[in-house]
Amino acid sequence: MQWPEWNSIRGRLLWHLGIVFACGLVALYLAATSYARLAADRSFDRLLLGSAGSIAETVSVTPGEIRVDIPYAALDMLSAAPDDKVFYRVIGTDGNTVTGYADLPNDPATQSRSRTAEPTHYFDSRYRGDGVRFVMMGREVRTSGHSGWIWVQVGQTLEARDAFTRDMTIRALAPILALTVLAVLVSWATVSRAVRPIEAIGRNLESRSASDLSPITSPVPDEIAPMVRAVNEFMSRLENNIGVLRTFIATAAHQLRTPLTALLVQIRSAETSSAAARGKSLSAASQSANRLARLVDQLLSDAMVAHRAEERCAIEFDLKKVIEQSLQETLPISHEADIRFTTNLSQAPMVGDDVMVAEAIKNLLHNALRHGGSADPDNNSIELILQERNDGLELAISDSGCGMTEVELADVGERFKIGSSGRGGAGLGLAIVVQVAKSHRGTLSLANRDGGGLRVTLWFPSP
Amino acid sequence: MHLLAVLALVCLGACEENDVGRTAASGVVTIYSTTDREVFEPVITDFSRLHPEIRLNYVELDAQPLFERFLHEADRKLPGADIMLSSAIDLQVKLVNDGYALKHETVNSAALPPWAKWRDEIFGLTFEPVVMVANSAQFAGRDIPRTRFDLVQSLRSDPGFWQGRIGTYDIASSSVGYFLAAQDARQSSEFGTLLGAMGDSQVRTYQNVSALLDELEAGKVALGYNVLGSYAKRRVKLGSRLRIIYPDDYTLAVVRAAFIARTSRNPAAAHVFLDYLMSVRGQQILATRSDLAAVREEVGGPYGRIGERGASVGPLRPIPIGPGLLTYLDRQKRERFLANWQTAIADHRREPRAGVESVATASRANR
Repeated sequence: MQWPEWNSIRGRLLWHLGIVFACGLVALYLAATSYARLAADRSFDRLLLGSAGSIAETVSVTPGEIRVDIPYAALDMLSAAPDDKVFYRVIGTDGNTVTGYADLPNDPATQSRSRTAEPTHYFDSRYRGDGVRFVMMGREVRTSGHSGWIWVQVGQTLEARDAFTRDMTIRALAPILALTVLAVLVSWATVSRAVRPIEAIGRNLESRSASDLSPITSPVPDEIAPMVRAVNEFMSRLENNIGVLRTFIATAAHQLRTPLTALLVQIRSAETSSAAARGKSLSAASQSANRLARLVDQLLSDAMVAHRAEERCAIEFDLKKVIEQSLQETLPISHEADIRFTTNLSQAPMVGDDVMVAEAIKNLLHNALRHGGSADPDNNSIELILQERNDGLELAISDSGCGMTEVELADVGERFKIGSSGRGGAGLGLAIVVQVAKSHRGTLSLANRDGGGLRVTLWFPSP
Repeated sequence: MHLLAVLALVCLGACEENDVGRTAASGVVTIYSTTDREVFEPVITDFSRLHPEIRLNYVELDAQPLFERFLHEADRKLPGADIMLSSAIDLQVKLVNDGYALKHETVNSAALPPWAKWRDEIFGLTFEPVVMVANSAQFAGRDIPRTRFDLVQSLRSDPGFWQGRIGTYDIASSSVGYFLAAQDARQSSEFGTLLGAMGDSQVRTYQNVSALLDELEAGKVALGYNVLGSYAKRRVKLGSRLRIIYPDDYTLAVVRAAFIARTSRNPAAAHVFLDYLMSVRGQQILATRSDLAAVREEVGGPYGRIGERGASVGPLRPIPIGPGLLTYLDRQKRERFLANWQTAIADHRREPRAGVESVATASRANR
């Protein structure tokens, strides 16, 4: 069976209520009918029994004949079922009808169990085209000539029983039907009331300007409150994000303008300066262009990481390989440094976005190369250690630079916060790493080493 | 207009049953009736005026032969009665109980009082009191008994006067007489005593009520017991010096009951006629022109309907139509009741004094 697809709460509610009540009504109808039939049979059987009993009382047996004097009340009492036909007979010990309707249907039980049959029992049969309920009442007699059972059979058609059953069933079902109608009306009204705040919120949102991200304040039922809260939170995050984005655009524009201005100045000075000075100017211009390129790289990298964080594509990869690959790619600019990668793991499987993770590692390496240099060329080493820790993988990168101040450590991860060392950089590198760590449910922590230098620890949880 | 609407309904109902699919009722309707044709003539005439397309074939018979003829024809599927109309309602009830009747449900049938119908198959059309009729001239200064008790007292205290001067039905040959006696036996515990006293007085018995009334008029009989009121009233209307006594202790009221035979060849027309008989118009004609009291309460109150003031009539006990009436039709019951009756009357005829107690005992045992 194809269940209807409901897009309406009201429709769904009514459909379900309808099914439940329909099943209930059918079950109740069956129960009520059978119960009413039982009750009808009980009360009307009592009439039959009374009638048969009063006939049986008048049975007298003499050696020559069985005499019965049907009392008027025996048949008249059956008119308590006013429109039912009445049939009776008395059966002698020889099985022949003593008086009454000789052709009444026999009860098979009387024939087969005549010795042990219940002295009184009921059965349904048909007689002259009508369904008839009969009672058989037996009297055992032992006199000369008559020995055995005398049976009084009284029957009545079923009209009163049927009417009683119908009436009882209707009486039982009417309140349930009324209740059903009431339930449907009440649920209809309730749903209408319940959705009214939603409609109000809808109107509220429709009438807002695009820049209005203020929270929804209209009162709502408890059931809808989580949704409204979520919408409000979402809007506040959106507002935040838009704020951050604006700041980012402004800062990025500013960051781009500085080297660009410098570049323009240097090129112009190269144009006007003497041949001797031109070399110096061009070299400065080249530096500015490099810085600009690096900045653009980082902006792109940041955008890429942000985009991939949204995408949330997760594959299984080997962190060790990714680290090795990143080292390879960083090699051209790390020729001066002494980089050591040690690990006790043969494999470091993790689930995540390998491109993002590689980007993070490359940024950390860049930072270490850029800022981790020591004055002492013998002690100018960068150490990478990959190990399992805290139910995850931990990559620690230690350099031998001058480390960071407390303020700088606190600001780690904020975009465009540039370290005091002032040795260039747009302040995007660590922000990218933080973003990657976050999107892998990992952490980034930085600490100054005791012997000087910075130790950056990137931790990813196990899949 | 009302009547027409009802008739239209009846026609519709009848057509549904009738597979021939007649659109309008017509043809012949045969009525088997215990009522004298002359009594019924006014309604027959009126109906024929209303429905010229339906011809009524009125067959008049005594109750028992009527019953037997109907059964004979119905069981052999011979053409016979479409409508059975009889005042022996016990026999009528038996036929209905045994499944020989058709249902008839109309506005008019619903308007009948509940005691005058059963199963929407059998309907009491007229009802009449069961009375004592006295030839006042015969009493010559004696008090005319007003109750059964008075009657017993009078029979006992004045046996000379009463010898051979009280009459009633011969219940062995008259179904109506048997039915009335049985109802008396059921209603009154004094019936045995009354029967004994009547036996003492050499009660005369008659096969039908007209013969009894003839002898009353002729002065051969002073008082008739259990006479159908309508017959007596007609005699009085025609100038007889008879006095009708509605017993003060109780006055039985019996109906003439009709049903449509299941074996009817023309049920559609039979429905139309039966419905006419219980319509206000039919009832009014029965009441005013046939001297049969209407069962419908619209046509006069209960006493008005029998043409008397309430004060002059004892408590009216209509005999309700129902399965209780089957009791006295029971073979053994009937044999015993008749035997007791014969014994009481015969014994006392032979030996006027001695057997009063024994009859009373016998008939009490009968109950």
